[in-house]
Amino acid sequence: MFKLSRKTLINFIFVLIAVFLVANSLSCLKSPVQKVFKPHLSLIGLAKRELFGVIFYHRNMLKAESLQKDVDLLRWRLFDLREFILENNRLKNLVNFKQKSPLRLVAARVIGRAMDSWSSTVLIDKGKYHGLRSGMVVICPQGLIGNIIESTEDTSKVLLINDPNQGIYSIVQRTRQEGLVNGTLGGNLIMRYLPFDAAIAVGDIIVTSGLSQSYPKGLLLGQVVSIGREFSGLNRYALVKPLVDLGSIEEVLVIIP
Amino acid sequence: MKNLFFFLAIICLATLSLNWPAWLNFFYCKPDLLLIFMVALVFYTNFKLALIFGILAGLVKDLFLPGTWAINMICFGISSCAVYLLSRQMSMEENYLRLAVVLAVGLLNNFVFGMLSLATGNFILPGIFLRNLILISVYSTAVAPLIFKLVKKISA
Repeated sequence: MFKLSRKTLINFIFVLIAVFLVANSLSCLKSPVQKVFKPHLSLIGLAKRELFGVIFYHRNMLKAESLQKDVDLLRWRLFDLREFILENNRLKNLVNFKQKSPLRLVAARVIGRAMDSWSSTVLIDKGKYHGLRSGMVVICPQGLIGNIIESTEDTSKVLLINDPNQGIYSIVQRTRQEGLVNGTLGGNLIMRYLPFDAAIAVGDIIVTSGLSQSYPKGLLLGQVVSIGREFSGLNRYALVKPLVDLGSIEEVLVIIP
Repeated sequence: MKNLFFFLAIICLATLSLNWPAWLNFFYCKPDLLLIFMVALVFYTNFKLALIFGILAGLVKDLFLPGTWAINMICFGISSCAVYLLSRQMSMEENYLRLAVVLAVGLLNNFVFGMLSLATGNFILPGIFLRNLILISVYSTAVAPLIFKLVKKISA
């Protein structure tokens, strides 16, 4: 029926073996072949791209413009979202602090800062209508911020702790050493009227003493960064770095007595 | 109409001062925009208008400061008169002369402020006093050309 000559059969077997061998060693062959083809393939690809770029220039230009708009929009949204995330984190901290704190607190937002550099104040968006009055203490989760000095129906002016008008009776948390903390208009506060042998060291935490009626006891003020001798030579002073970054406060809490 | 624009300019500058970005502060100092505005008014408008709006600018500034006494209103009024008298005595057509006047007025105003603050019993370190005195004035002088342009445009 199927009569194959010996020669044909041998040839067929050879071909089969060759196919089998090539099929088996395909991966070994791929690399060198692709290497050989690569230069001119890339050259052709480049030429093709440039050619199509010229032919479809107008279409591509319109597409690029539309995509650029999308990119700008998305970038803007991304910035917005980042701002929301930061605000969300800050508000979360405030809410946590408000829930944990035994004090009655009202949250407010900073809407303006000092008009000149000789005073340190901020304007907040809550006033008499929300129950705020002059003398109320303003804090944030990191520590004391200041007190309200003026209050209108909807806004209040807060005198920050780094204003020179500010004087807060405070104590060193570790040794209970008393002193008066004043603002200096700079980045640090100054704790004055410390006796010459005052038990105070760099790194000590300063808190309100509660001696003055306006500030409750134990509110965090800052950390001692350096200690010096006053000009008179009778007392020492300590420079205190506020724990709150007073230059960038955005939300605050007002203590309702 | 011009008066309305000057009034709006005062409001805008006050708003800008209140919301001056912290990253534009130079060693905790920011320029005194209303003071520059007051000096520019003397140069580009008549004396009566300059005095009225100068005092108004001082009042607006006082409204947002913690003090209970309108010291800026008085200082701005006196400064307006002083600059006017000076401009009558000598020609102030050169831009650098005008900037020098802003610097001088800034230094005087800040000196008065610093001394008043010290007189009321506030504790200000000498370094911070000098920093505020010099840097606010210099920063104000640096920003002055922009406010001058604004006032010139409104008064034109």
